Amino acid sequence: MTVPVIELEDLRVRIGKREILRGLNLELKGRTVGLLGPNGAGKSTLINTLLGFWKPTTGTARVLGHDVRTEARQIRSLIGYMPENDSFIANMPAITYVRMAAELSGLPEDAALERAHEVLFYVGLGEARYRKLGAYSLGMKQMAKLAQAIVHGPKLVILDEPTNGLDPQARLRMIKLICEMKALGEMSILICSHLLRDIEETCEEAVILKAGEIVHYSNLEEERASNRRFVEIETEGDDGSFADAVERLGCACAVTAPGKIKTVLTEGIEIRDLYRLAADRDVQLRRLNYRRDSLEDIFMKAMEK
Amino acid sequence: MAVYKRSYRAYSGPLTNPMWRFLVLQRYAMKGIFRSRFLLIGYVGCFFLPVLAICAIYLNQNAAILAQINSKPGFLKIDGNFFMVVLQAQGSLAGLLTAFVGPSLIAPDLTNGALPLYLSRPISRTEYILGKAMVLGSLIASITLIPTLLMFVVQSSVAGYSWFSNNLFLANGILWTNLLMMALFILLGLAMSAWVRWRIVAGAMVLGVFVAGKGFAAVINAAMRTDGGYYLDLQHLLSTVAGALLHHAAEDEPIPVTAAFIAIFAVCGLLLLLIDRKLRVCEAAG
Repeated sequence: MTVPVIELEDLRVRIGKREILRGLNLELKGRTVGLLGPNGAGKSTLINTLLGFWKPTTGTARVLGHDVRTEARQIRSLIGYMPENDSFIANMPAITYVRMAAELSGLPEDAALERAHEVLFYVGLGEARYRKLGAYSLGMKQMAKLAQAIVHGPKLVILDEPTNGLDPQARLRMIKLICEMKALGEMSILICSHLLRDIEETCEEAVILKAGEIVHYSNLEEERASNRRFVEIETEGDDGSFADAVERLGCACAVTAPGKIKTVLTEGIEIRDLYRLAADRDVQLRRLNYRRDSLEDIFMKAMEK
Repeated sequence: MAVYKRSYRAYSGPLTNPMWRFLVLQRYAMKGIFRSRFLLIGYVGCFFLPVLAICAIYLNQNAAILAQINSKPGFLKIDGNFFMVVLQAQGSLAGLLTAFVGPSLIAPDLTNGALPLYLSRPISRTEYILGKAMVLGSLIASITLIPTLLMFVVQSSVAGYSWFSNNLFLANGILWTNLLMMALFILLGLAMSAWVRWRIVAGAMVLGVFVAGKGFAAVINAAMRTDGGYYLDLQHLLSTVAGALLHHAAEDEPIPVTAAFIAIFAVCGLLLLLIDRKLRVCEAAG
């Protein structure tokens, strides 16, 4: 049985007099998980709790099977964290910065230096690795932060707003890198972002927080798969028998307007069967769309709850 | 294979001992500090008096060399007073070093928001403070504790076993006075660095604590006709403790040694609390 990446059981976190996280229950096993929510939803508090900065008031939180209350050190050795805000030493060259990060995670000096060179090349800062971080552009700083987060080969990487402030080109590069990291299969990735598109493009699972509560959990992979079975069809020349024929194939079918049909393809029925059916009845298929609930739709629905 | 041709791969090699990992912070901070030539020259200058004193201790017992300059052995009396003078001089230099180095230890990390970066790794807040404290600790020890103990060793070797056995309390006094002084300077330097972002102001405040403390003590003592003001004078507190440990206490010492000890510990505790409080607030990201 695979150990969940993140496991929350009635997790409550109170800071001062305010309860920020209110009884979160969740089990995430996906390789890439998106954490969404408006400002003040509790995303940063959740990350800080997973990192061990805030202690749960009640309930438990486990990261890769380790309890945040008692095994914060082990958790931190398995995690790579890319903070949202500027988090670097301005007068330090990138290579020294990443090397120090690796050494703090326990790599010996020589291995840390080698890894620092490698990851800086990997994130595209190879040529600029001896430049001071203070002289880096925003995009380069984001990449340097990513490099320090992955230099020690963590099992879970937490990326807090990784594309914040990036121009479209730099954003694409960051998204590509995240997808590459996901494809390598070496680590799980938790992405906290305001940009729904980033989550949609990179994540397998998405969790939406609102006012300290989980208002929606979505397995994006499964949703994408199920959406592929839901088809909207526009026909021409249909006398009404086409919908009946589709139903006879075993697919649930609804006629929403004359010539407009919505159907869910059952197991074993493919699109080509619909084309065949239309050809047999001399019906023209003018439009055929898969349903696609965008993450934005899901997010907006969750916010209405 | 060249590093630029490699893709990302997980690290599976050996790891360093977690117990000593805080020394990474010290090593990197040291490298940063000694990039300043001014500080490097100043640091080297701090060894002038100890080297001179060690040479004097050696010459003090060397009849052959002294005869050549028409002098007699024992021109210098190596006792509690000697070490008090050396400790006061080196202590002042340690104060200056703290004022220069201390502010550059924590303040840049807070300004750059780098604390979550350190503390999201397997390193605790205590280890972070320890790593930074080691920077000041090693610098101060190298100009105070180590040279003064070396002086004691040199004097013992040239003066013989009887001097050593009769004056073993001096080694004890040197050790404890230096440890107290180091603790005070380290915590003061770190506290100022944590709470005052501007380096110059933080440095001035390190020195100011000693100068202002002395001033306040004098004002309180004069205005209230009491000796209680001395508890605000850190320099006086350290001198009281050093005098007692080195058997060179002033006869009219206004405050008891135990009270001076307690006062120094209380100040150290307060400074530690200040550092912890500041870091606790800043450690969480976002």
